[in-house]
Amino acid sequence: MRRQLAVLASCAFVATSGAVSAHHSFAMFDQENPIELEGVVQEFKFTSPHSFIILQVRQQDGGTQLWSLEGGAPSALVRDGWSSKTLKPGDELQLTVEPLRSGAPGGSWSVGRTKFKDGRPIVVTP
Amino acid sequence: MPYRNSIGVVVLAAVFVTAVADARAHDEAKYPDWYGQWLRTGGIQWDPSKPIGRGQQAPLTPEYQAIFEASLADQTAGGVGNDARYSCFPVGMPRLMSVIFPMEFIFSPKITYVLFENNMPRRIYTDGRSWPKDPEPTFAGYSIGKWIDEDGDSRFDVLEVETRYMKGPRTFEGTGLPLHKDNQTVVKEKFYLDRSNADILHDEITTIDHALTRPWTVTKNFRRERSPSWLENDCSEDNHHIAIGKENYFLSADGYLMPAKKGQAPPDLRYFRQSLR
Repeated sequence: MRRQLAVLASCAFVATSGAVSAHHSFAMFDQENPIELEGVVQEFKFTSPHSFIILQVRQQDGGTQLWSLEGGAPSALVRDGWSSKTLKPGDELQLTVEPLRSGAPGGSWSVGRTKFKDGRPIVVTP
Repeated sequence: MPYRNSIGVVVLAAVFVTAVADARAHDEAKYPDWYGQWLRTGGIQWDPSKPIGRGQQAPLTPEYQAIFEASLADQTAGGVGNDARYSCFPVGMPRLMSVIFPMEFIFSPKITYVLFENNMPRRIYTDGRSWPKDPEPTFAGYSIGKWIDEDGDSRFDVLEVETRYMKGPRTFEGTGLPLHKDNQTVVKEKFYLDRSNADILHDEITTIDHALTRPWTVTKNFRRERSPSWLENDCSEDNHHIAIGKENYFLSADGYLMPAKKGQAPPDLRYFRQSLR
């Protein structure tokens, strides 16, 4: 599943900066082995308790797989200058995510490690 | 009909007089200025001066140290250990005071309310009442407080609170650092503004619990936002973490169950007829 066209290169460092500050344990996400992911935003869910980016990730066979990526709470994102309109369907992103330990297409994303695919930062107004 | 209207006028007048009397009884000038939004200054761990997990060096009894180690081991494998919060389970006291999301204070003559962005409020009774006899336990517990004028300037500056009668299970933090299953916890707190910075609020918290070998005191510090934004933060809106039996699963983008842990078996479907699967 991880051997797909999308860049899923493992990064062997301990993820501490930019980690999601959660109201519960994020132990289901492998924080020691984050991966790089590129894809197209299908939906940005500005919902409680945590936001979600539903990301279309292209696979080697030309199809796409949907990743469910959990992020900060909307109230925390707002304090960082984000809003429900910061990301739109069709936006192309590159992210460093902490994947589910199971290998299923899910993980956690964070503000500090998310940018547009062409390298532009995501502009917010704190 | 005129008679009924007269009764209405009398009732309204009585309500108004009572409200005015309450307002007079609540002399705002006696209370400190804790207006605004209070945000934690440290991480999400219990003692903000130490690292999360084992780094807390919690004074656990051997029995509860073993329970804690089992929680840490399960989390290393992708489980949730003792932390039920992932499924929106209430955190209760004292963990509420980690203030993962901001809080605010509202003073009334008989009750001080602590409102949290993502939890039920705390009610701290300051009317001099005694402990109730055998109250129904709650996650936030039953809190009795006392306002104190420590510096003698005729204005309160310290709120001392004791909380009892909590419900469980409860943990100190997301690592599953446990409190005792007997729920006999007593939490003593002392709230006060920093003497040199009125935008810092301290909460000295001492937890007395049978999972601990001694009372455990930590100090939480909060910073004030005077022009706050408040959003709804309701855990039931769109939580993707699902508890089934003793296992935790994760919802996929299209709303189906996915395994959270490596090699995790699907849920037990014993109550579904095989032909309907």
